[in-house]
Amino acid sequence: MRQRPINIESNDNTLFTTSRCNNRCIMCCQPPTTNNDIEYLFEENLQRIHCAPKDIKLIGITGGEPTLLGEKLVLLIEEIRLCLPNTNILLLTNGRKLSKESYTKTIAKAGGEHLFVDVELHSDYSVDHDYIAGHNGAYRETLLGLYNLAINDVEIELRIIICKQNYRRLLNIAEFIHKNLPFVGSVIFMGMEYIGYVITNSEIVWVEPFCYQKELQEAVVFLSGWGYNVNIYNIPLCLLPNILHPYAKKSISDWKNYFPLDCNNCMLKNDCCGLFSTSLQQFKNLSPFQNKCK
Amino acid sequence: MYSLLPFYFTRISDYEVLINEVGDYVAVPKGTVERIVSKKLNRDEDIYKTLHANFFISDQLLHPAFEILVERLAEKKHFLDLHTSLHIFVLTLRCNQNCEYCQASSMGIGSTQVSMSKDTMRRSVELMFKSKSPYLTMEFQGGEPSLEYDILKYGIETAEEMNIKEHRDLNYVLCTNCFDLSDNIINLCKKYNILISTSLDGPEFLHNKNRGRADSHKRVCSGITKMRKVLGNDRVSALMTTSVESLKYPTEIVNEYVSKGFKSIFIRSLNPYGFATKNIDWDIYTDRFIEFYKNALDYIIKLNTKGIYLREDFAFIILKKILTSTNTGFVDLQSPAGMVNSVLVYNYDGKVYCSDESRMLAEMNDFTFCLGSVHNKYEDLVYSKKVTQFAKVWANETLAGCSDCAFKLFCGADPVRNHSTQGDMYGYRPTSLFCKKNKSIIEYIFKLLITRKEEVMPIFKRWFL
Repeated sequence: MRQRPINIESNDNTLFTTSRCNNRCIMCCQPPTTNNDIEYLFEENLQRIHCAPKDIKLIGITGGEPTLLGEKLVLLIEEIRLCLPNTNILLLTNGRKLSKESYTKTIAKAGGEHLFVDVELHSDYSVDHDYIAGHNGAYRETLLGLYNLAINDVEIELRIIICKQNYRRLLNIAEFIHKNLPFVGSVIFMGMEYIGYVITNSEIVWVEPFCYQKELQEAVVFLSGWGYNVNIYNIPLCLLPNILHPYAKKSISDWKNYFPLDCNNCMLKNDCCGLFSTSLQQFKNLSPFQNKCK
Repeated sequence: MYSLLPFYFTRISDYEVLINEVGDYVAVPKGTVERIVSKKLNRDEDIYKTLHANFFISDQLLHPAFEILVERLAEKKHFLDLHTSLHIFVLTLRCNQNCEYCQASSMGIGSTQVSMSKDTMRRSVELMFKSKSPYLTMEFQGGEPSLEYDILKYGIETAEEMNIKEHRDLNYVLCTNCFDLSDNIINLCKKYNILISTSLDGPEFLHNKNRGRADSHKRVCSGITKMRKVLGNDRVSALMTTSVESLKYPTEIVNEYVSKGFKSIFIRSLNPYGFATKNIDWDIYTDRFIEFYKNALDYIIKLNTKGIYLREDFAFIILKKILTSTNTGFVDLQSPAGMVNSVLVYNYDGKVYCSDESRMLAEMNDFTFCLGSVHNKYEDLVYSKKVTQFAKVWANETLAGCSDCAFKLFCGADPVRNHSTQGDMYGYRPTSLFCKKNKSIIEYIFKLLITRKEEVMPIFKRWFL
């Protein structure tokens, strides 16, 4: 995969670190490989950091699973900190490697104040989480990773990708977060992309957003009521109850974002995240907001 | 097959309420406990998942997230790491009021030999700094502490001076009836951002009856207005005490707090100390107080539903324990108890006590909880044989009738109360009125959470923001 140059105009400037992963999430949109890509992507990313505009607001670190880089991830973060001292760093991870406290500490130290770590949590129930993550023991390591981040004062965002295996327990997950992970800064509920393993596992993972409106509303209202910053990614406004509209973000990276023709009739188009151009099948029940409906 | 983690349960309305080791609850249909214990739960059931996620059961030898349970329990007991943070200085027994239920056995304004000397104050402040707590609160009580400007000022200045080297987070509270606050006192409050804690029992007729003065209500209210102007609304708080007469007026009392612009009210029962012990049948009083409390809380909920914000602070403390994973820092409902662990009292006469109630007992000539004198060494006061004896009975985890109570995590141990009302520090729960009152109120709060969830939860959550 060829990486795009870092661009000040883009809302998605990301360092792709590896296509390897230590999880096998059943709804992974970007299935991992076993390629030996860590070394050359590391070198490439160092170059990209050096060439990046100094005033860039946010730089993402993604994969695969970036923590598989081990100490190289620390070096990468240190390099960003050195070259781009004011840029926020957003690290996307399953958090499992962060269960080792000494490692988490070095990451936290390298990132400093502007480091945000996004960790995926799939369920409050260990067996469900492990099943979705495709790895026995993932739940335990991810939770320990979250605690290690908290101990090291790292700003944490939790990501919950809504799928058929967890949508019924969204409120339980929200309650679990409030009781056991109250230190997280924000919680993001995400719709799926119809790509990668979602296609191959469609039968067991795919669920239409209109099917989980009630569950999503309960979870979002619960967390928001306790003062958490809650966001919804990747679900168009027409598939969300009105009460959830304020939480929905224009979350889809500009280079893979599109709106079907019908959306031109929608008066909320400018506030909407739209759809993934990369998805092979679109959500059902899309319907533009006409003037009068609003 | 799964194994059981420690949990407690009780029956409320048509539910079984299960409570785990850190105070999280799950309300389930009747018969569920039986099914859990006899291992009849099925892995695919939602309730199985919920109980597993909330540390009631484990399908592995060690729960996959047991460190979280450990961490959370440590958080609930974090106050122990902080050491003694509340330091009460009884400046004098002199008072300009004559409250019928005075728990502090105050004396006339002209009394002598009942105020703290500078020597005692200096030594008390030195002892306070011996505590390792990063947070220190100096609470000034009486009698009426505002009658003793010189010693109040001396105490604060001494603490400020010592704090230059100590770097503690130092806060001040003045418990005053707000009568005749002199310019000196007002300037002192302003300079050191002192929090005013005053007493307002309810509407004029009731407050004046309780307080034994025809002008008490008027003077308190004008004091409150004045101090709010000087210090800001949030720096003036009020407490109410429920006299026998007050029991008839739950709504009137709540309305008084709303009309005086308060955002919170603490519905407090009488304690069996001081003048209050005379002529009261405590069994009857406790039953009536529980009803009074429920009525007042219901009324407060009703007001909140209408958009009038008012928080009831006792319920708020219990709710914080039930609904969040943080620690409350409320010393009266703590296990191990607040005595010594979180509170020390320096009396006007140079005696050191382990809680406010302890010195009230001393005014009734019972010195059981006197730790010594301010001239003793700190170590000899707080690590004494006496305190070791208290320590055997100050944790409800180890007390019969408490250790298996579903509500033990929300309640606390009170050896001083046990001693004063039941004759021994261990106490006997079946006849303990402290137990009866707390249990009834906590149970009522659970009942609200379970049976009126949709109505009360949005209100309760607002109280936290």
